[in-house]
Amino acid sequence: MITPNKAKDLTPLPYRILDDEEKVRKVVALIREKAAESRMFKLAMECCTKCGACINACHSYLGTEDPLNIPTKRADLVRSVYKEEIMPLAGVLGKVAGGIGVNPELLEKWFTYFYQCNQCRRCALVCPFGIDTAEVTIMARQILAELGMVPRFNVGIVKNMVNTGNNMGITKPALLDNCEFLEEEMYEETDIKIRIPVDEEADIMYVPSSADFFVNTNTMIGVAKMYHAADIKWTIPSEIIEAANFGLFFDEKVMKEHNRRLLECAKKLKAKKIVQGECGHGWRAARMYTEGLNGPLEVEIRHIHEEAAYFIAKGIIKVDPERNGDVVYTYHDPCNLARAGDIIEEPRFILRHVVKNFVEMTPNREENFCCGAGSGLLMEEIMETRMKLGKVKAEQVKKTGAGYVVAPCSICKAQLPLVFEHYKLPVEMSGLMDLVGKAIIL
Amino acid sequence: MAQIEIDGLVLNVDEDGFIEDPSIWNEEIAKALAKTEDVPELTEAHWKVVNYIRNYYLQYQIAPMIRKLCKDTGFSLKEIYELFPSGPAKGACKIAGLPKPTGCV
Repeated sequence: MITPNKAKDLTPLPYRILDDEEKVRKVVALIREKAAESRMFKLAMECCTKCGACINACHSYLGTEDPLNIPTKRADLVRSVYKEEIMPLAGVLGKVAGGIGVNPELLEKWFTYFYQCNQCRRCALVCPFGIDTAEVTIMARQILAELGMVPRFNVGIVKNMVNTGNNMGITKPALLDNCEFLEEEMYEETDIKIRIPVDEEADIMYVPSSADFFVNTNTMIGVAKMYHAADIKWTIPSEIIEAANFGLFFDEKVMKEHNRRLLECAKKLKAKKIVQGECGHGWRAARMYTEGLNGPLEVEIRHIHEEAAYFIAKGIIKVDPERNGDVVYTYHDPCNLARAGDIIEEPRFILRHVVKNFVEMTPNREENFCCGAGSGLLMEEIMETRMKLGKVKAEQVKKTGAGYVVAPCSICKAQLPLVFEHYKLPVEMSGLMDLVGKAIIL
Repeated sequence: MAQIEIDGLVLNVDEDGFIEDPSIWNEEIAKALAKTEDVPELTEAHWKVVNYIRNYYLQYQIAPMIRKLCKDTGFSLKEIYELFPSGPAKGACKIAGLPKPTGCV
């Protein structure tokens, strides 16, 4: 069974790798603890009636055709333990039908299957009880972490975040070198000195994805050009050039610390507004969780698309769609923007102004499907699974006949080109601010 | 962590085939890693890219921005993929003895 490689050293996570006996002993207590903490998790454990609505809503099941990837069946990996050990009549009615028992094999199954869920929450849309199975995945991964079972990929990212304030491990000297280079590139293209201000006091603190300084550089260029054209003072914080909060996927302590760092940087730079860049789950973590994690919220938190849509609508920046050519564009909604992220119409508004031909895929908006790498499933070793998780997305794109997919999230940007290559779709892809950067009139 | 042997050279590599200790690297190690990356022979063009990446890493402790790598070596991204089938991050960086670039990439 394809499964992520486990970390052999959990530093800097505050957990240690438990042996089989300890794991089995602790897991029931951990489930009980989490059910007491999280109402949504408790709801998911107790209220599912197996109506089956989630089956065909889930790209993971549709792509892998593995019944354990049906949201409610995957949740049963935890629910069966909950029903046997924790619910009020546990033990009285005898072993629950289909109960698997608590053993190391079960925990291996958890590790395999909870890292085949993208936490996309499409199942939550269709559940008549409002059960959000992503919350079960998050809780299961949290419990696994506390038992010492964490993908090596995740630990590497947390380590980089602690050391440098971003997931890639970009040091400050490298960042300054990168910004200088991009400024030179922009000058070469436009004959205008467009800056990327680092660590300056400004009302607006823009938080890019660190991938925008490695591979998705056109996204960064688009943002720099936009703020230049709008003549607004802005800056990026060298201590956290990372919109992506990996803790959201598997560990609350990591999530809280990232968020704390974000707020601290905003305070240092005297920012009044944090503007999140093109990252899906990072938007969700910043916009929806800050108040609860490290509140009260003292700054405004906005998305770069809200800024761009506003500037275009008010005529503060001018754009020419001719510059993005005749190719047919379609838009992929990153899960955490469109589902409970409320960034749905802004990207479309922007896209309609910066390209000539835009077609929607089906379904779209909050019903759109995940790219297949959501919740950090970017490990090399599960590539076969990742391509299955991207199957439904490939079918959607093919049906549009589009030649270009706009996907404003770093994880989507990493996954989709591989999906398109695998399913032989000759389609280009980029972020949305990339196209703003190309269309903008300076 | 695993040990692989190529042309009599024993290397400690991680699960992705990147060398375990990036501080230990030389031409022989590069040649051995190249064999694991479908690059049977390192030409002058290969070395230009590999040495650029290695020097950048020694100076900045991180892989260079891909766009900058292309600009400074004079190769297009397409040409880099022709030299290194796995690409600049998975292929060239591996041969240059860097840790695997990670994050949302």
